[in-house]
Amino acid sequence: MAVTRDQVRHLAWLSRIELTDAELDRYTGQIEEIIKYLDTLDTVPLLQEQEPITTRKKFSDLRDDTPAEFDSESLGTTYRKDGFVKGPRMT
Amino acid sequence: MEVWRLGAADVAAGIRSREFSAEEYIQQLLERIERVEPKVNAFVTVQGKEALEKARLVDRRVKDGEQVGPLAGVAVSIKDNICVKGIKTTCASKMLENYLPPYDATVVRRLNEAGAILIGKANLDEFAMGSTTEFSRDGPTRNPWDIGRVPGGSSGGSAASVAALECAVSLGSDTGGSVRCPASFCSVVGLKPTYGLVSRYGLVSYANSLEQIGPVGRTVSDVASVMNAIAGYDESDNTTAPGKPSYSMNGKSGGLRVGLVKEFVQGADPQVEKITQGAANMLADQGCRCEEVSLPSVEFALASYYTIATAEASSNLARYDNVRYGFDMSPEGYEWNSYFAKVRSNFGDEVKRRIIVGSYVLSSGYYGKYYLKAQQVRSLLRKELKSLFKTHDVLVGPTMPILPFKIGEKVDDPLKMYLVDVDTVVANLAGVPAISVPAGFADGLPVGLQVMADQFEEQKMLNAASLFESAAGVQRSPEL
Repeated sequence: MAVTRDQVRHLAWLSRIELTDAELDRYTGQIEEIIKYLDTLDTVPLLQEQEPITTRKKFSDLRDDTPAEFDSESLGTTYRKDGFVKGPRMT
Repeated sequence: MEVWRLGAADVAAGIRSREFSAEEYIQQLLERIERVEPKVNAFVTVQGKEALEKARLVDRRVKDGEQVGPLAGVAVSIKDNICVKGIKTTCASKMLENYLPPYDATVVRRLNEAGAILIGKANLDEFAMGSTTEFSRDGPTRNPWDIGRVPGGSSGGSAASVAALECAVSLGSDTGGSVRCPASFCSVVGLKPTYGLVSRYGLVSYANSLEQIGPVGRTVSDVASVMNAIAGYDESDNTTAPGKPSYSMNGKSGGLRVGLVKEFVQGADPQVEKITQGAANMLADQGCRCEEVSLPSVEFALASYYTIATAEASSNLARYDNVRYGFDMSPEGYEWNSYFAKVRSNFGDEVKRRIIVGSYVLSSGYYGKYYLKAQQVRSLLRKELKSLFKTHDVLVGPTMPILPFKIGEKVDDPLKMYLVDVDTVVANLAGVPAISVPAGFADGLPVGLQVMADQFEEQKMLNAASLFESAAGVQRSPEL
């Protein structure tokens, strides 16, 4: 599959990664080459007969979630207010 | 006495019998680290003071006649994507440059219980994405055999620290060959366990359906003793298998049925091919039944691997938003999306490329074209392997298809870099164990033999690896 500069820009935005123009220029060709290599998956014979591997564990086998003490001071950020961690505003 | 040269078994025995003290041993290693680190750059962090304190504690316990663990006093380096409480775990990334884990990974806790001493955190490709340890914010690790060349990766710091005699053993992580590749390039032993044998609790996730933590050492026996400490069920990792295995080095190895994988040998550099053929002949001379076998789906393994690994990476790395931990950048004046995109631009090139490729293959409409097919290839490979393991105890081939190359040679060509993983990704896709054992040298550069076995057949694999190791007698550490 061909990969365009706009596609890379869009995928980077979906992944919330800001790219410079120089990075966009460099990555577009490299990613296209990688995707073309992944396209060899189209040539695997008799693939439709293969079932993907799945886990045998059931949800009910999982251990219970139990609350544990947590020291919020151990978080690395220095941006805090009134005992909370500060993040960017939502809108 | 130059105790810094000793392997894990001799260190533990020497400290227990009070032939030398743990403090003396750690002190010598710290001097060695100071001497060779400017050339090798295997460590992100060296824990000198803490290691000496722990050593004195071990000495005191030995003196008081207390029980000490099987790895008492043994110096270990730990790849910097495995959490150690209160010690920076950076993943060689700007994004985690200040991250202090509030807990120990299960493997770290178990090594502590066995008496091992953490001497430092080892360099890696950022978030373990790479095959050369060049993609690190702390600069590249260099191959102790030729410091102009790469040590392999992504656990390059682990393998180089062991080869350069800066510690006895190390823990790395192996997602597509990241323990075996650097072990091969640095002429040491590296083992990737069966998926589910070793807990991943406390390992920073990159592609969690593929990766396992694995040991690096200078001998098969040292690697086995680390496995005895770390392997086994962990209630904190739901993918671990029940039970606690114990491996011995006195296993029966005569008459092993060995398959030499045609596809691995054919694609290799002629010098690597020659050494691999020689290794197979050596095993035959030791009484093994060797024959050529075929794994036809190897042709599609890399495409399957890079689809699954990047897909999992794109979702695993979505958590890094720099809000609760990360590097210093004020959120003041930013809107959420722009802050998120801005801080995440601080991932390195290779991490950004893999996240974008992962987002591409998971895009709406492409799931059936890439991800589903990659998972089907995975089943196909496992079926082919299962069938071969009905008639063969182990499969062998070169660990790496080429010799260690020059630093910078492939750094701008990601696809060319991915192609060097062709022989190692198979074990990760199928979840089977594999080990790299030094097999010889070409042009003064190390070549490793890869030995693979069926799931949970580590003992058979260690038997074959140990048999080959004693027959081949390959040099481990270069003069530096």
